[in-house]
Amino acid sequence: MSVFPQPGTSLGNQGPTAYELQQVVEKNTSELVSELANLSDRARIQAIRSLPMSYDDRRRIRSRAISVKTSKNIFNIDCTQHVSRSFRRIGASVASARQWLVVWHGTLKEIGGRFGTSVLSYFLFLKWLLKFNVFSLIINFCFITIPQIVHAPNISNVTGFRGLELLTGVGYFNQSVLFYGGYNGEVIVSEPPYNMQLAYFFTIAAYLVLCGVSLIYSMSRSFQKNFVLESGPVSGGAWRLLCSWDFSVVNEKAIQNNKNNLGTQLKESLSERLQMKHTMSVSERMKYLSLHVLAWLLSLGLAVGSCAGIYFLGIDQLETSKLDHNTNDLTVEASTLLLPVVVSLINLIVPLLYSLISIMERYSNPRAKIYIGITRNVVLKMSILGILCYYWLNSVPQKMACWESFVGQSVYRLLMIDFIFCLFGTFFGEFLRNVIGTRCVPSLGVPEFDIARNVLDLIYAQTLAWIGIYFSPLLPVMQVIKLFIIFYVKKFSLSMNCQPPKHTGRAAQMQTVFIALLFFPSFVGALSMVAYTVWSLKPSNYCGPFQGLQTPFDTILSWTVYIQNLPGTHWVWWIFENMLRNELFYYLVTLIIFVITYFLWQITQGRKELIRTLRQQIVNEGKDKAFLLNRLQNTQKQGRQKESFRNQEFDQTPHFNPNWINTLPLDM
Amino acid sequence: MNRSKHICLSLHCSLHGRYHELAPHLVPMDYTNDPDVKVPLALIVNMPELKENPFRNRIVESFSEDGQGNLSFNDFVDMFSVLSEMAPRELKAIYAFKIYDFNVDNYICKEDLEKTLNRLTKEELTPEEVVLVCEKAIEEADLDGDNKLSFADFENMISRAPDFLSTFHIRI
Repeated sequence: MSVFPQPGTSLGNQGPTAYELQQVVEKNTSELVSELANLSDRARIQAIRSLPMSYDDRRRIRSRAISVKTSKNIFNIDCTQHVSRSFRRIGASVASARQWLVVWHGTLKEIGGRFGTSVLSYFLFLKWLLKFNVFSLIINFCFITIPQIVHAPNISNVTGFRGLELLTGVGYFNQSVLFYGGYNGEVIVSEPPYNMQLAYFFTIAAYLVLCGVSLIYSMSRSFQKNFVLESGPVSGGAWRLLCSWDFSVVNEKAIQNNKNNLGTQLKESLSERLQMKHTMSVSERMKYLSLHVLAWLLSLGLAVGSCAGIYFLGIDQLETSKLDHNTNDLTVEASTLLLPVVVSLINLIVPLLYSLISIMERYSNPRAKIYIGITRNVVLKMSILGILCYYWLNSVPQKMACWESFVGQSVYRLLMIDFIFCLFGTFFGEFLRNVIGTRCVPSLGVPEFDIARNVLDLIYAQTLAWIGIYFSPLLPVMQVIKLFIIFYVKKFSLSMNCQPPKHTGRAAQMQTVFIALLFFPSFVGALSMVAYTVWSLKPSNYCGPFQGLQTPFDTILSWTVYIQNLPGTHWVWWIFENMLRNELFYYLVTLIIFVITYFLWQITQGRKELIRTLRQQIVNEGKDKAFLLNRLQNTQKQGRQKESFRNQEFDQTPHFNPNWINTLPLDM
Repeated sequence: MNRSKHICLSLHCSLHGRYHELAPHLVPMDYTNDPDVKVPLALIVNMPELKENPFRNRIVESFSEDGQGNLSFNDFVDMFSVLSEMAPRELKAIYAFKIYDFNVDNYICKEDLEKTLNRLTKEELTPEEVVLVCEKAIEEADLDGDNKLSFADFENMISRAPDFLSTFHIRI
């Protein structure tokens, strides 16, 4: 059995003999070996790994390639090869050690086996967010919290611990290291001196920058893997038949479900094809368009209304509560929970209203419906967060003494209440719905696991966590615990109550969309809020590491003045002054990026054109092949006819037809 | 040694454990002498990862050297490494093509598609619908007009289906 793809022997019995085949295989092998011998070690390993051969064949080719290479290198550069080989071994053992740190491997395998890849993508997303938070927790703890706890116990515990603190974050936690107010910006006298202000600033900045880089990298990788060259409906039978079957599902019932779904979808696509596509009249189109416009107006109106309500509620709370840090009144404290509860209720109810609204609209394809639903939900959630940020950055600093701690506590409360609502939502949304769907109203059926809604909830919570990081460095603790618990709750609810979604097309594109959403409104928004706080707002005078300064950014300015005077670090000051603070530098960089983008875009256009021409060429080659086959068959047929004719006539001489050109088929 | 491909060394060891479990009397624990042992098809398709898969026989046959489904340990590792998450798309496409090519003629013809469809849907579709779906599939994917799908046609279709990398994946 030859391992190289052979052209099909479609010319009938004129295939090559066994000896010729062997020659061809040997020639191909030696070409491959000489190619491999010219590569570097690392590239050779990669190339051999991706050969579609059995393991023994690959080992043979590898040993041949290595022997060719060593015979070429007479002066054996043994040392560098040895070093690079040992580095590779170290890398391999680090990678295998990392395997042991993979958490939840068995659980994820079970979920993928029962519910398929698209539901698994939710849990993988959750795990990925968990990594961000664990990293943040570690660096904040090491660089900010531990120095503060060890060296500057400047906190005064006003009240003892009551249970309500876990929800509201005030009282016992008020001046603790959980919030901004628990840190002071003194320079810890040690060898070398440790500047808490700089540590606070740089730790948070470094974490946000690393997050941004990681998000951009994941987004571009995902986009590259999932980018489809040709747009257009890939809902045809070929794709569904050959590419959509999920091999990772191992549960018998789930496989039966998938088979039924596939059958239903194939039947649907057949019936769509058989019936004529009926074109809508102008009046019908106007009607649907006006319905769309009305639906959008309603959705935006709901969003704007919720934002206004939240803003005025916040202002009202600020006026009436006057929450001073010394109050012991439980009811006043509990009233601070009103705003988070209202926000979570809005986040729960308004998306349900949106799905009701979308029932009245008509979409050309179901994917448009999903994307429009996602857009509306994102607009709602981000506008709520936006109005909250506006309230925190504009109204709160004037009214409160230690306003950063207040903001940190508000974020803490929002996260806690969101978590409680998530648990309740799982209970009511999935468990009760399952009971209703199976016992009371059987026509509803078992609920499907709504991936989009759950992922958007995760993105919302993560945005809050990113916003809160500046105001409450230990907030990731809460987020980590919360994500852990949500993982197990969702998994349990999934296995008891839900079934996998029926329409699983294009799950990979949805993944890309979710990562893009995590980057664009979510991370960028949080980053801009923190950047605005650091750059322009006056920090509170009596608490926190930046007390007394005009803006927190002033610490960097004073630090650069300090290092300007130090010998040997003049270049750091030079970079800071002439590149980072210079607008001209940014204009130049932007201009260069625009030019490069334009070039790359032109290259892409050229490649698209090339693909189109190559496709046309394939079609033409197919037609050529058909034509040649036809001619060959005709010539053979005529040859046979002449044979039989000649045998009848007992004529031994070969008969040459000078008019052979007229025997060509007419349809050339 | 180039033993670990797209899976790392610890997984390689656990694969050896799984392979040994399939036929404990046949597979030795000690592989240093590189024994020539092949586990037959009937034992391999009983693995929990493959048991319910509609294509289990074709998968095992495509990775075996003799085409009958008897896998040596190296073939076993090959199989799970191609089906793992990290195998490149081209490699997966080559083996997926082999799996769907039931009559092993290097083309996916109409009969191959009909067999695939029957495995995927059982009694849902009537025979006429089956024929219609297969014809439509070939019409859509066939670029060079020879009424069957060559590897190039198949690969072109795969490039338009980014989910393929994640669905053509068996976790072990």
